Amino acid sequence: MKNNRFTAAVLIPGFLFMFIFAVFPVIYGIGISLFDYNPLNIQNTFLGLENYRRLIHDEVFWKAVKNTFFFCIVAVTGNIVITLFLAKIISVIPSEKLRTAFRTILFIPCIAPAVGTSMIWKYGIAATDGGLLNRFLGLFGMAPKNWFLTTMPMMIIIIVYTLWSDIGYNVVLFTAAIEGVPKEFEEAALIDGAGPVTCFLKIKLPLMGRTFAFVSIMTMANYFQMFAQFRVFAASGGKDNSVMVLTNYIYKTSFSSYDMGYASAIAAALFVIVFVVAMIQNRMMRSDWSYE
Amino acid sequence: MIRSFWMNHIRVMKKRLLSILLCSAMVASLAVGCGSSGGSDTEEAEESSGEKTTLTFWCHENEPWIKSYEAMAEKFEAENPEYDVVVESYPMSVYMDKIQTALTDENGGPDIIALWGGMAAPFIASDALSAVPDDLAADMDEDFMEPTVGIYKKNGTYYGVPMEYNLEYGGMVVNKKLFEEAGLEYPQTWEELRAVSKQVAKVNGDVIEMGGFECIDGDALINNFLAMILQQGGNYIEEDGSVNFATEEGITALNELLSIVKDGECTLENLSAGEYCYNDVYQDKAFMSSVGTWAIGEGTDSYELTYGEDFEYVPVPQYGDEMAFTSESGWGLIVPANSANVDAAWDYVRFFTDPENLVEHNIACNQLPPRKSMLDNEEYLEAMSNIDFILDILPYGKWRGPYKASDMGSLFNQMFIELCQSENPDVEASLADVSQQITEQCSLGYTQD
Repeated sequence: MKNNRFTAAVLIPGFLFMFIFAVFPVIYGIGISLFDYNPLNIQNTFLGLENYRRLIHDEVFWKAVKNTFFFCIVAVTGNIVITLFLAKIISVIPSEKLRTAFRTILFIPCIAPAVGTSMIWKYGIAATDGGLLNRFLGLFGMAPKNWFLTTMPMMIIIIVYTLWSDIGYNVVLFTAAIEGVPKEFEEAALIDGAGPVTCFLKIKLPLMGRTFAFVSIMTMANYFQMFAQFRVFAASGGKDNSVMVLTNYIYKTSFSSYDMGYASAIAAALFVIVFVVAMIQNRMMRSDWSYE
Repeated sequence: MIRSFWMNHIRVMKKRLLSILLCSAMVASLAVGCGSSGGSDTEEAEESSGEKTTLTFWCHENEPWIKSYEAMAEKFEAENPEYDVVVESYPMSVYMDKIQTALTDENGGPDIIALWGGMAAPFIASDALSAVPDDLAADMDEDFMEPTVGIYKKNGTYYGVPMEYNLEYGGMVVNKKLFEEAGLEYPQTWEELRAVSKQVAKVNGDVIEMGGFECIDGDALINNFLAMILQQGGNYIEEDGSVNFATEEGITALNELLSIVKDGECTLENLSAGEYCYNDVYQDKAFMSSVGTWAIGEGTDSYELTYGEDFEYVPVPQYGDEMAFTSESGWGLIVPANSANVDAAWDYVRFFTDPENLVEHNIACNQLPPRKSMLDNEEYLEAMSNIDFILDILPYGKWRGPYKASDMGSLFNQMFIELCQSENPDVEASLADVSQQITEQCSLGYTQD
């Protein structure tokens, strides 16, 4: 009884925090999506499901959904493949100091502010006049290109930037997971004649299932909400809205058009998408095992 | 036994104490997170100023402008000792978000806000602003030029007072050194302008190595386009208020602008990057760039160039037969409805926009005067002698119309980019399409009368 009181006393403030800063805003946001909402107005007209009906017919919204999915699938896949590869490479480095040094180098972009690094990429690498990319093309005698007027190349530039800025975190997680797999399994496999690649793919990777599930679910959920780079590289969504993603569309609708009711409806749609994708991933990657 | 009882009791007490401490810490941090410091700040300000009323003035970060706002505040305080005016500035990138948050604050935020007309529109459309007092409104009707007040009027009532006449058409910065080196004179007619522009321009891929007449950026493009329509005697707002660019004059104007890109006089680089073309002139990368008078200050202050030596500001040769152009309402002053000192705030706005005081601000900020009575102000003419030709054309300006200027510009620019990249551009169809989009998507959300 006494323990229950203690547990309640410790947990209630935490739940209170979560309710005020997580649950309540979600409920409030869904409520707003039913209104023609402007916080500056004394009265806001109730629209019912009108904002959601508008979503169905909004071409930009569907383009943003398509772009968001494309970005997430390509970037998350790229992220996991690259980080797994780098983590494996790092894990076989014999020197602990070298391993730490590599992990640190890869982790540095993760702690740099995304807006700042996006600006560097925009004005330093992708810039039309004097950008690194165009200078590189110049070495092969090619004329400089205005990447901001392209569709797929612009999306690829943003994906490459995202991978550069974000791989360090997952590399650290995967390295820890690889090192956490007991050596006995690998040794047994090697004795049975498995090569290092087979050993990694068939022994280590399945045994890293929990980390793999955590990384893929968190990365996917995180990438659905990526915003800074899209805002910096193409604030208005790029040519033909080719790099317009849901987060940027929410911001644009909310703070440029001041259509906050509709922006909340888009946000609710994003919430549902992320929730469903996370649930599917969670079910697919469920793993019930232990090393013992 | 007794010892065991006390030990147990102490352990229980420790647990209780720990839980109380944890709860207190959580609740305290919650209170700190959710609490507002505005009240105590206000109180401190009131204490420090005794019986004085404190007026908070918000502006965006711009060094010479802030100095001018502070000078105006000091002048007001000297004449009205019962007031303290505090000037607070914020980076432009967060300015709109700050204002929006402040306007929803029940405890009141700033008393006066300096804001761009186009940015004020969503606030005017809401119930967040205080109406301009009758005497000041009558003054606006009588003395302020039409393009400066358009955006501030909702259902016959004004909700802001202009500080300047915004003009993005009529003048251009020219790189004097480049003209001298090339042995060229400044063009006097539109045909001369295009000829010089073609002669000097050089493009490499999508990059301009040397620009001729650069007028393809977020502001200059649509302003030149609209001026070119009007100068041919055309119009783009129909009787029912809808936009129609797909007229003979509109098609001619757009073809002219498209040919500037096709002939390699200017690229889409600045338009796509959200930069201004005048930077190219200041960086010796272009001969001429269409821009408002405000860019002169950028040349002298940001680039540390010498006016008259490195660059000059000269008229853009007229495209059509008659002088005409459009303008969107520029920087003005608004008073939030939730201000604790609405009447005092309007007193300050009245003081600020009085011709005697406003002229000082316009000079300090390289702005054009919004009042008709200031067009022949000797103090202004003497201080701004290099832009007197602009003052001559101000009365020919027309308000751009009841549409959100930035959204209108974005749609137009997008269409322009698509036409430039298209192999077989259908100018008329594109103009008709963008006109419909602007009519449907860019309405201000309120009517003037």
